[in-house]
Amino acid sequence: MLEARELTKTYSSVPAVGNVTFTLGPGQVLGCLGPNGSGKSTTVKMLTGLLEPTRGSVLFAGQDIREDLVSYRKCLGYVPEEANLYPYLSGYEYLEMVGLLRGMPPLRIKKRAEALLELFSLYPSRHGGMSSYSKGMRQRILLISALIDDPKILILDELLSGLDVTSTLILKNLDQGAGAEGKSGVLLLACFRGGGASLLTPAHPAKRRGYRSRRHPRHPE
Amino acid sequence: MIFPFATLEAKWKSHSQRPFLQLIKLFIDRAFHGSGDSESEELDFGTGLVLSLLALPGAFYSILLFDKYGSFLQWMHGDKHFDVLSIALSDEYFLIVLSMVVTGVAVVWRWDSIFPDRRDYANLVPLPISTRTIFFANLTAIFLVAGLLALDVNLVSAFLFPFVATASQETALFFLHFAMVHAAVVVLSSLFSFFAVFGVVGLLMSILPYRMFRQVSLYLRGLLIAYLVGVLCTSFAVPSLVGHLPKSPVRFLPSVWFLGLCQMLRGRASPALAILGNLGLMSLICLVGCALVAYAVSYRRCFNRIPENLDLIASNERPIARRIFASLDRIVLRTPVQRAGYRFVLKTLFRSERHSLVLGGFVGLGVVLASQFLFAAFSGQEMSVNAGSPAILSIPLILSYCVIVGLRFAFAIPVELRSNWIFKLLLDRSKPECIPLARKVLLTFVIPCVIAGIVPFHRYLGGWTRAALHAWVVIAWGILLSDILLVRFRKIPFTCSYPPFRESAIMLVVCYFLGFFAYVVLTSQFESWALLNPLRMLLMIPPTLGIWYGLSHARTGMVEVDKEVIFEEKPTRGFEVLDLQV
Repeated sequence: MLEARELTKTYSSVPAVGNVTFTLGPGQVLGCLGPNGSGKSTTVKMLTGLLEPTRGSVLFAGQDIREDLVSYRKCLGYVPEEANLYPYLSGYEYLEMVGLLRGMPPLRIKKRAEALLELFSLYPSRHGGMSSYSKGMRQRILLISALIDDPKILILDELLSGLDVTSTLILKNLDQGAGAEGKSGVLLLACFRGGGASLLTPAHPAKRRGYRSRRHPRHPE
Repeated sequence: MIFPFATLEAKWKSHSQRPFLQLIKLFIDRAFHGSGDSESEELDFGTGLVLSLLALPGAFYSILLFDKYGSFLQWMHGDKHFDVLSIALSDEYFLIVLSMVVTGVAVVWRWDSIFPDRRDYANLVPLPISTRTIFFANLTAIFLVAGLLALDVNLVSAFLFPFVATASQETALFFLHFAMVHAAVVVLSSLFSFFAVFGVVGLLMSILPYRMFRQVSLYLRGLLIAYLVGVLCTSFAVPSLVGHLPKSPVRFLPSVWFLGLCQMLRGRASPALAILGNLGLMSLICLVGCALVAYAVSYRRCFNRIPENLDLIASNERPIARRIFASLDRIVLRTPVQRAGYRFVLKTLFRSERHSLVLGGFVGLGVVLASQFLFAAFSGQEMSVNAGSPAILSIPLILSYCVIVGLRFAFAIPVELRSNWIFKLLLDRSKPECIPLARKVLLTFVIPCVIAGIVPFHRYLGGWTRAALHAWVVIAWGILLSDILLVRFRKIPFTCSYPPFRESAIMLVVCYFLGFFAYVVLTSQFESWALLNPLRMLLMIPPTLGIWYGLSHARTGMVEVDKEVIFEEKPTRGFEVLDLQV
């Protein structure tokens, strides 16, 4: 379903990521563990199409994602490393904007957004400006925006750093549910000893994999 | 023997390390670099550049006066013994207004940086510093910033203007007296402006709940900007009305009080002006006192309660807005990107303070210009007589021009650039969605106002035909102006970085002036003539179609790469390296 072939990224001949290769089938989870500066986020950016690899390619359903990035991104839910949001929008307005950009019908946006806001305990504060949200709330908004269109692939970049136990458990259940349905390939990145590693254990050990990235001498991520 | 400077320097170094002085430094830095919830500082120019920019208007104006006060020119005009003080009255007034406006705009711009905010609370309160120390440090910083602003805004003009104005005089004493009075008055007027805005902020913070203060503050700032722009634009007309004191309504303008003070110090004030001069001085003292009280109360009320205000400020969903957007989705906004982008643009315009202020400034300018045209049109005559006059017809053109140009200008100012990843991720860059989106935003600001305002007004003045024709002209011209301004536009508004200084900036300003002339003055003159016989309006069609064809031709002639959505605008360089590698 999702395949990385010898993904390599160098910045002015300084290697950031070297020859990352893996294949993910439906329902599988891949975790990437590594210390700061080991290239996890760079790999994620290449997988989402935000960064062009120096060498190698990313294939989705056998097709290079660069050939049709827009269709690929329709199937992708992405939570970036930092919660950069528009602070003057409310949580609901942000989700509505994301839903519209994804081309979802307004009624479906409303239904999905409200359900997910309820699930992640953000419903009461959905109309509050995001400038007043805590870090965890912002992370949850990002997670909801990634889940809103029910994506086939979910990429989380150090998501769990700001999430509380409840939200982590909800995410874990969502992930297990999706895995049981054989619906999506979920890729999770976590830092060294990060809480994200907990999502790799123990429900579906057969479907869980992980790789460890090494620290490079210098990584301008 | 120890060199005394070294000792002084060492003393100053140890003194400047004290917490109180460090706090003052922190608050002064905040005033120039900004704060607030936003962490992006795209428009952070740095203290030096800000101070230079603030001093520029007065300097330029003084330089432009060389011609006026040149003794040779005066001799050419036949004034061999001209009275500098009476000639300088209008310029003195303008410089007073300028210093008040520049200071006022600077304080309104940095409105949120005057008081300690959440960030200060989070960083300073856990430290072993009492809140009283923070209070006095902030207060001292405010006074220092006020003094610095007042001096900086008038620094160049306080020397240059007296030098230019008294160049024809022979005694140095005259120059010194002129310069000292001028410097004192412009600095005091700057301080008045600073403490007036400061007092308003403090008062509002003292009496309003925090949430309401946040809501009111944006509108009030827009109003203050409009007022300051208005005072600046009418400053040329005021000196002639000073002669009609004490009955003239200009007696209510603080800038006239300071003109009175200036004339009083020069011994040239009429009794009415002398009263106003004293009023200016007294009101400044009272204003500083009131601002201090308001500040102390608001500090006690707001700063100590910041942790309580950290709770969510939740607002309710607005069903009317939802219905309006839903109908716009059905009628105007055809694609998902347009729907999402339109909501994003409107919310940014009304909620981002920087953008609201820019737009407010342009709208304020439009209102002032329109009111001057309106004043000219109706002065002493019946309304029906002037109904088809160019001045009346130009009012909607002025307003639409200022709104469209202001919006286009605001679109280029980025907001929270680090958050634009969502657009980068979800947007198809090859689809030309930016121009339709921006055009629709521009026109939704203009067309409803035309229909709601112009049509009934001109229907009342001159009947349905005139109303319909005038509305048609304003709408057609608005569409053309939008298309001209957006011809190379390929950004989602507010999501693209831009180079801090454009080489074409001066050319753009010139184009805006020429555009105003063509859009407002020529069009209204033509329309006034054409409305005498409505068939003449047909003459508008060929140029309209010509411009429209030229624009569409220019757009189709662009290569595909130039149509792609961008998120970063690089400065134009003298030399470009062509990457011709295969």
